[in-house]
Amino acid sequence: MGIKVVHRHGNTFKEKMYISAIFSGMKTTLKHFSTNLKDATQIPTVCYPDEKPTDITPRYRGVHRLTHRKEDNSIACVACFMCATACPSNCIDIVAMAREDGLDEKMPKVFNIDLLECVFCGYCVEACPCDAIRMDSGIYSVVGETREEFIYDKEKLLSIKGISKEEYSLAK
Amino acid sequence: MNTFLILLPLMMTMLYSLATVPILVWMERRIAAFIQDRVGPNRCNIGGIRLGGIIQSIADMMKLVFKEEFLPSHIKNKLYYLIAPSIAFVSAFLTFMVIPYADNITLNGETYHMQALPTELGVLWFLAFAGLGVYGIILGGWASHSKFAILGSMRATAQVISYEVAMGLALVSMLITYGTINLNEMVSYQTQSFFIIPAWGAIIQPLATIIFIVTAFAETNRAPFDAAESESEIVAGYHTEYGAMKFGLFFVAEYIAMAASGALIVTIFFGGYQLPYLSTSDLINHFETILWGVIIFAVLTSILFLRWMNKNSRFEFSSNNETKIYTTLIIGFTFFATIVMAYYAFGFGETHEVGVMILQFVVFTVKLFVLHFVFIWVRWTLPRFRYDQTQKLGWNILLPLSLANIFITAIVVVIGVNYGN
Repeated sequence: MGIKVVHRHGNTFKEKMYISAIFSGMKTTLKHFSTNLKDATQIPTVCYPDEKPTDITPRYRGVHRLTHRKEDNSIACVACFMCATACPSNCIDIVAMAREDGLDEKMPKVFNIDLLECVFCGYCVEACPCDAIRMDSGIYSVVGETREEFIYDKEKLLSIKGISKEEYSLAK
Repeated sequence: MNTFLILLPLMMTMLYSLATVPILVWMERRIAAFIQDRVGPNRCNIGGIRLGGIIQSIADMMKLVFKEEFLPSHIKNKLYYLIAPSIAFVSAFLTFMVIPYADNITLNGETYHMQALPTELGVLWFLAFAGLGVYGIILGGWASHSKFAILGSMRATAQVISYEVAMGLALVSMLITYGTINLNEMVSYQTQSFFIIPAWGAIIQPLATIIFIVTAFAETNRAPFDAAESESEIVAGYHTEYGAMKFGLFFVAEYIAMAASGALIVTIFFGGYQLPYLSTSDLINHFETILWGVIIFAVLTSILFLRWMNKNSRFEFSSNNETKIYTTLIIGFTFFATIVMAYYAFGFGETHEVGVMILQFVVFTVKLFVLHFVFIWVRWTLPRFRYDQTQKLGWNILLPLSLANIFITAIVVVIGVNYGN
């Protein structure tokens, strides 16, 4: 291994003058300023409530939704409690009941998610064996005036549409 | 008319120093945002009218005024603590008093000065009060009884002492060139032409210009010489212990000081209120022609501005159509102004002097705002100088350069006077 001599900057007369460096820096900032002044619409800032984000993808963890079965459009959830067990904030409340139509053994009678407690970690989606719960709704802002409005029940969760291509549960 | 013309420069002083502060704060924030590819303040509005964000700085000032006034209990010299912001503010404000906004105007045989303080000692007044402004900072930092504040004010002290020397010497070379300390005469000197380029101070004395501008940055504690309030090292420097409007006065004083030194730089180095090549008597004699030029310029700029505005309004904020309101206002104002100017341009009106005065106000304002842009542009380009670098630059580079500049200027002037023509 040889010795690598690193050139020390700042000792030449030109560099000590500062002037050329200052002007090249000012040229850069002026370039940014003038392009942004000429066309303010191309500034990447999203002025949020007035302009909505356009880059929400299906993989964005938005508000949960419960999927339907492809065969008869009924609920895909089998009330196995995997999501409620995986949930670190205990925000999923499930009451199971027997399923009468012969497609499966169980289905939820109550399926409530308290969005005020939810941390949007996505563990419930990972845990679900039936692809029954997903977070691909693309909803990033949930508003309400009372605490009760934030507890989404089964009907509400079933009614949310996803933004991914697969609309129905992929479970076989 | 008589009283009005005497009071006019005083009102202009108020306008240039106090009324420009919200605009300067807005410029600072919007230009900084554009330089950093951001949008900047654009939400604050009164009934949907945002004026491009200027309302934001008005709201900020309201906030500062109505905030609770508190006094930290550890402060022993309450008087000094309380008057320090006022000293900074008043001296920044008084600096403006000697700037000529237009040439002396003669109406009905009487001459009126367009300086708030028609003194012959223009430059000296500026030096005195620009230096005094720092006493507010020093006093505030000392009376705050806190280490960050005292560190900030010590830095400000040392910086002003070292840069005032170079600033004064750069000014001396300009005084030798112009042969006067009266700011108005300096401006008239700069209406001459030097071959075909206007004999502006910046062209005759480029070195003195650079030195003066650099020292003006240091004198007003603006970046890159704002070590006195460097938030990365000493919290907020000298105004760490200040809140509400006491802080607001320091804040406003900084901008007024910037505006005042900008005005002085315009006056001494960039031809003041004069257009290049055209002296006041030229303007008065060819008033009609010039007015036609102004009309064409006004119409063109408003068309360009309207096109720019319609292209760049990103979103409609409220139900009232803001862009439409502005468009109507601008078209209406341009139309009105064009008619008024055309009335005089066709030679119906007689008061050419007043018209020239207004034109000179406008020229001065435009030049001043270009210089403000430079101040802001530099602030958002250059990183802060380290403290020892500031001192080194002041004593080792600027001082010898300004001394050398004085010698060269003096030699050239002596040769020019004795062996010229």
